[in-house]
Amino acid sequence: MSNFQSLIDGFASALTLTNLGFGLLGTFLGTLVGVLPGIGPALAIALLLPITYTVSPASALIMFASIYYGAMYGGSTTSILLNTPGESGSVITALEGNKMARRGRAGAALATAAIGSFIAGTIATFVLAFTAPSIADLAIQVGSADYVALMLVAFTTVSSLLGASQIRGFISLTIGISLGLVGADLQSGLSRMTFGSDAALEGIATVTVIVSIFALGEALYLASRFKDSGWKVIPMKGKALMSRDDWKRSWKPWIRGTFLGFPLGVVPAGGSEVPTFLSYSLEKKLSKHPEEFGEGAIEGVAGPEAANNANAAGALVPLLALGLPTSATAAVILVAFQTYQIQPGPTLFLTNGALIWTLIASLFIGNALLLILNLPLVRVWVQLLRIPRPYLFAGIVTFALMGSYAVKTSIFDVQVAIAIGVVGFLFRRFGMPITPLILGLILGPNLELQFRRALQISGGDYGTLIASPLSKILYIVLFIALFTPVIARVMRKVRKDAHA
Amino acid sequence: MKLPQGGKSELTFVGSLFLLGFIVFWDTYSVELPAFNLTISPKVFPYAVAALLMTLSAILFVNVLRGDTAVPEGHFEGTPIEKSDYRAFSLVLASLLAFLLLIERAGFIVAASVTFFGITVAFGNKRHGRSAIFGTLFITLVYLSFTKFLNVPLPAGIFKGLL
Repeated sequence: MSNFQSLIDGFASALTLTNLGFGLLGTFLGTLVGVLPGIGPALAIALLLPITYTVSPASALIMFASIYYGAMYGGSTTSILLNTPGESGSVITALEGNKMARRGRAGAALATAAIGSFIAGTIATFVLAFTAPSIADLAIQVGSADYVALMLVAFTTVSSLLGASQIRGFISLTIGISLGLVGADLQSGLSRMTFGSDAALEGIATVTVIVSIFALGEALYLASRFKDSGWKVIPMKGKALMSRDDWKRSWKPWIRGTFLGFPLGVVPAGGSEVPTFLSYSLEKKLSKHPEEFGEGAIEGVAGPEAANNANAAGALVPLLALGLPTSATAAVILVAFQTYQIQPGPTLFLTNGALIWTLIASLFIGNALLLILNLPLVRVWVQLLRIPRPYLFAGIVTFALMGSYAVKTSIFDVQVAIAIGVVGFLFRRFGMPITPLILGLILGPNLELQFRRALQISGGDYGTLIASPLSKILYIVLFIALFTPVIARVMRKVRKDAHA
Repeated sequence: MKLPQGGKSELTFVGSLFLLGFIVFWDTYSVELPAFNLTISPKVFPYAVAALLMTLSAILFVNVLRGDTAVPEGHFEGTPIEKSDYRAFSLVLASLLAFLLLIERAGFIVAASVTFFGITVAFGNKRHGRSAIFGTLFITLVYLSFTKFLNVPLPAGIFKGLL
């Protein structure tokens, strides 16, 4: 059966009344939580995870796809009107969009962000639908040793590219892997890092860690710091509409942003920070009005927003085809899959084909729903920004604690959550990036599994790890990423330009 | 040698990361292997992780000593780092611990309402009566919708049989 036929079937099952309902609910909840300041897409999805425990896998995945895109749309609204980017991919939107809003052009900024996200999301989902299955086909022949190499490459790029300091990225990653060690070893039954606790034998729940490091860590950090710097919502005049000139200036950045964002989502380049910054500096170079950049240039919102959304869709390619998340948000989605005993990876399209095509179809549907939900209704969402900060954080914290308790109905998870919350505070205070920790926690056990599998096949000969041509290539890539500071230097320059 | 502002506390932090690496090493070293034979010992991977964590934090320790101190989130390089507000920090932490202590003893509604109220105080809310009432109503609503509609079990505690 061709991919196209499968996609049509996917649409057929996504468009049933029940599934459409869950899609609508997902877009609604995703936008709602995404709009709330201080909540990025990764935390939004993690917080909403308990809600899906009681519905069928297909409906739950549809809901997740919609939450995923919804949280991204909601996040850009907050960035533009409040200048509080919920995640690194929205930093640029906050920078340029907020300036536009200050000059009374909030409507145009919101519109170019929403329409750009829609166009980028639609194109990128198309490319995803036709590349992911082929990559999965190729990946079926990939052996355990190659997987080890692949994961090490992903670890290296994510740790090196995020944040300002490579070594802090790697330490964050290693701490994540250490947390993943906790519990009984699946092959030997050996209990590791449990310190005599029975509850710890089951290991540390990933949802608990994600929710608490983002929500509790952020609450502790913000309470200790920016106390007086309350938020100032910029009032929005008029409707979210663009003039003819805005359209003329936006469409090219949308397309360029899409084709910059998607491939950088497929390769592990550390999430949406790199493509959005690159798109920003590209638009600045190509613009006829470079002097407007930094003062609220519409291209500076259109390009990066498109790049951000295309990047989010691109990140689904390695997630679905290889089981390899390359951003914090993708990692949360991997956890969501695993709660339904679905393991993303090369065989996914064979074992759960119908389900995955339904998911991809609902990405298209969710994207269209979001455009409707966000353009005419943007004023409704803006009201959410008026929630006073103390109430907002009180709500986020209680939801996070409830979520960590409800995962296994156990007090141990609440203890873990509070401890991880303190770790999250320390990470923020001492400039350690958080995404590598999450990737380490989720992929660490997988890395060990593949590592041991490879060595068992070879009878303990470590040479097997670099035996195949693919693994040799991957290790060369790894060394380039490790020791050529070129990428990091380019990033630093772009970042400086953006702030200048 | 003079450390930049915040350097000392960062050294303590990085030192504790080294200690964490050592704990991973010690835990792996002291646990007894099962009797049956495995091609690859379940200790290899943790040893590697421990070694990596200890090496990296030692390098970072030296870097910090040399002046490569951290840039806290939300700050730009070069701007002075204000002192943390430990009162608000402790209030948030106390609210979290209150949830831990109360959730199974007094139930979700009490525990979460106390936490909710504590956080609003920590974030500078002045109208305490209002936030206490609003918080309790909100938490009760959350409790009812999760237990009745979403079948997520949350402890009723002192309201057992009432709600």
